[in-house]
Amino acid sequence: MNCVELRKSLAQSEDGGSAEQQGHLKICPACSALLADLNLIASSAVALRAADEPSPRVWNSLEIALRREGLIRSPRAHRSLIPSLSSRWGWARWMAPAAAALLIAVGVYVHQHSLPEQLARDAARPIVSGAASDATSDLEIAGLNDDDLLQEISGQAPAIQAQYEDNLRHVNEYIRDAKSNVAANPNDEDAHRSLMEAYQQKAMLFELAMDRSLP
Amino acid sequence: MSGRTIRLAAIGAMMAGTLVAQSRREYRYNVGPKAAISINNPYGSISVKPSSGNVVIISALMHSNKVEVDNGQSGNRVEIQSHLLAGADAESGRVDYDVAVPPDASVTLHSSTGPLHAEKIHGDLTLVGSNAAVDVRDVSDAHVHVKTLNGPVTLTNVQRGHVEVDSLSGAVTLDRVTGPLVQVISTSGKINYLGDFGSGGEYRLTTHSGDIEATVPESTSADVSARSISGEVHDDIPLLPKLHTSFDVKQGSAFVGSMGQAAVSSNVVLRSYNGKIHLRKRSTK
Repeated sequence: MNCVELRKSLAQSEDGGSAEQQGHLKICPACSALLADLNLIASSAVALRAADEPSPRVWNSLEIALRREGLIRSPRAHRSLIPSLSSRWGWARWMAPAAAALLIAVGVYVHQHSLPEQLARDAARPIVSGAASDATSDLEIAGLNDDDLLQEISGQAPAIQAQYEDNLRHVNEYIRDAKSNVAANPNDEDAHRSLMEAYQQKAMLFELAMDRSLP
Repeated sequence: MSGRTIRLAAIGAMMAGTLVAQSRREYRYNVGPKAAISINNPYGSISVKPSSGNVVIISALMHSNKVEVDNGQSGNRVEIQSHLLAGADAESGRVDYDVAVPPDASVTLHSSTGPLHAEKIHGDLTLVGSNAAVDVRDVSDAHVHVKTLNGPVTLTNVQRGHVEVDSLSGAVTLDRVTGPLVQVISTSGKINYLGDFGSGGEYRLTTHSGDIEATVPESTSADVSARSISGEVHDDIPLLPKLHTSFDVKQGSAFVGSMGQAAVSSNVVLRSYNGKIHLRKRSTK
């Protein structure tokens, strides 16, 4: 058996364990090194299951290179779309869907856990009383700036302005209290929800003030 | 000519001038099932009632010639807009609408001053108004969404509704309002619930500094969780206490328990920060 024959036989049996293969490997350091590399890749791939899935271009490049080397053949007709687990390399074909599923699961987990943590971090910031500090933190967190609201209603009748200012003061108190509650009870789901509702109220105040369909 | 005669003549002339300035218009549209009706009226009332058949009838009373009514139909959608002309104010720009819509129509009403009223509709209802008093009654199988700044909100006999009320400081009264979701969020307004919380629904009444009062009949089935961070809670109805709660139940500031039949019970959450929460039994008288 020569080197070319060995490589072709590896593509079929995939383990290099036959007597002919072993005979050639004993006398050919290059083929021995190739088989060692293949075995190393196979064992290392196990650790890559949790890694990000390479792009399809990478797989295509690998396939082209392997075909050029003669290590793999053209796909057989009626080949199953589901990779076989029986062959030694078959499990590797499950890596793509497995990695994708893992990524989705990790993404969902991170998404579910990041919002409350973000809210808790926001709530744990030092709270300074006063409308100005509230306005600043609101601007950071929710994009709601009290100055914008006051500017928006500046052309309204004094009575309307007073109503908006009064409601703005109350809703800022609501946010401040809700923040304090979250800071004191970071694991309290109710406290987080209350903070969200407080922001929702403030958002509605802005919405009504800036509703162009209303005077 | 006596002074009295002159005064009467002057008053008569003023009234005549007002009557001339006021005008009423009526608009009719033929629509299909589940039509969408939108009315935007900066100053004035809007009252919506069911029509017979697939027709929308809009009667608009304009209080001066400083306002006109823009109207149009696009397919199954009817849009009405009070168009304020130069110099219009809350008085001269006022338009009062009486509207009849097919009962299955979805209706959106905007008015700053209101009042807004809708009844006997089972399409979706959206009512928005900063100072407008909102009154919705005899509505079933509908989404009811209300947003107000200061205006009081009263919902009466809303059955199987998906109800969401957001009010900054207006009082909210729910009388016989039931459904899969009934939610009120207020900053400083008082929330008053009268009824039995239906069966199997999610009821969440939240206010920062307003009080919450729920008056229920003895036959009510509900899991109730009430909590006021720095206010008080009162419970006139004996509840079967829950063994496990998601927060510390401090005597006087929270209570958690169930009443009635667990199989059909609704989940009722009452939350306030500074306000008082009171669950009381409805008098049998």
